[in-house]
Amino acid sequence: MNEMEYGPDELDGHTLEELSDYLDAGFTPADPSIDDSPACQMALAALAHVKTATESLLETEADEQPPTSESFIAGILEAISMNVRAGRSIPIAHPSPTARITMTEGAVRSLIRGAGDNIDGVLVGRCTLEGDVTTIGTSIVVDLDITVRWGENLTAKAAEVRAAVAAALATRTDLVIHGIDVTATDVYPVQHKDGEDTE
Amino acid sequence: MKKLLRHGLRVRSERRASLWRRHDLRLRDGDGIIGSASSAALLREASDSTLAGRAIDGDMAAFEVIVRRHSGLMRAHAIRLLGSNSESDDVVQEAFIAAWQQLPELRNPAALKSWLMRIVSFGCMDRIRARRDAANIDDHDVADSEALTPEAVVTAASRNQALALVLKKLPPPQGQVWELKQSGGLSYEEIGEVLGLPPSTVRGALSRARKTIIQEMEVWR
Repeated sequence: MNEMEYGPDELDGHTLEELSDYLDAGFTPADPSIDDSPACQMALAALAHVKTATESLLETEADEQPPTSESFIAGILEAISMNVRAGRSIPIAHPSPTARITMTEGAVRSLIRGAGDNIDGVLVGRCTLEGDVTTIGTSIVVDLDITVRWGENLTAKAAEVRAAVAAALATRTDLVIHGIDVTATDVYPVQHKDGEDTE
Repeated sequence: MKKLLRHGLRVRSERRASLWRRHDLRLRDGDGIIGSASSAALLREASDSTLAGRAIDGDMAAFEVIVRRHSGLMRAHAIRLLGSNSESDDVVQEAFIAAWQQLPELRNPAALKSWLMRIVSFGCMDRIRARRDAANIDDHDVADSEALTPEAVVTAASRNQALALVLKKLPPPQGQVWELKQSGGLSYEEIGEVLGLPPSTVRGALSRARKTIIQEMEVWR
């Protein structure tokens, strides 16, 4: 079999390793001594082929895996529920001077996510509470990322989310909201799953 | 339009400094709002970046979607490194639990998949090290002596099968090094560390593996 040797003699002074790194780096910074060498280009094509083949093999093997079992997932969820990321403790006013009621930051985030997710065509991403939420009466800013369905009016959706989050926080917490910053980070396509359109 | 959105559209609230004080409903830890069925469906289709962001904030439902989405790939990778056995399931499960804990440190949530692959790679290497310590010898490295016949690769039914054949026949530690670099995304230094080899040996092994694979796969281009 007449195999190509892929040594520096055949590759105009380059090694296969250099070419592989060049491929991984997305051909940047451009190296004319590689770009203009037919031998290097052939080797790069071979490398790219092998890279694609390796990825596709793993994907295929992943697809051939039996479906993830519910007990496998339950095991993970049970273990992580020990670490719920409660965050800071947020006080809630109470008429009795001796009572001290708090809500976790995690619960407030969950409340915010739920309010945002309830808006049609919106999915909330990250959500942060900026400011000292541990002192009652301090004004804070809510910062949240949303993904919006393709074709929706972003400003209108952001306004809806803001209003819903403000209402939820007003009803269920004593936080003083200075502002609610909504950032649309992405759009998602209109779904057509199992042949049915979600409007 | 899409490009603009990627950079983020920022809308600042005009509603300022109103003091809301009502307490008709209280929320206890873990209560949360139960998402509607449509938001559950949206979550299943959400980007890794959105899911990772929510999981960082403590959303277990988002994390469950991450687990369902990536466990197959992680298991395939673990099986390659550990051999086909039940250990790989344990390693993947542990990797997810570790991932939940480490998620707040993930700098680029969009790179979730490769980050998970790295975690499971390290988990597999721990297992291999433990096995080696238990066996107390340089054991099962020397399993394959049959030479890879070019005919076998040529007559493979598909490119995937041909590559699987080539990878299986790589002498140690080339196979592991290749898998850790290509699928695990580990650096030469990290591979050297987990395998207990100097980086120069890792480099050499990878380079030989690369050359063998390219040559063997030539016929499948």
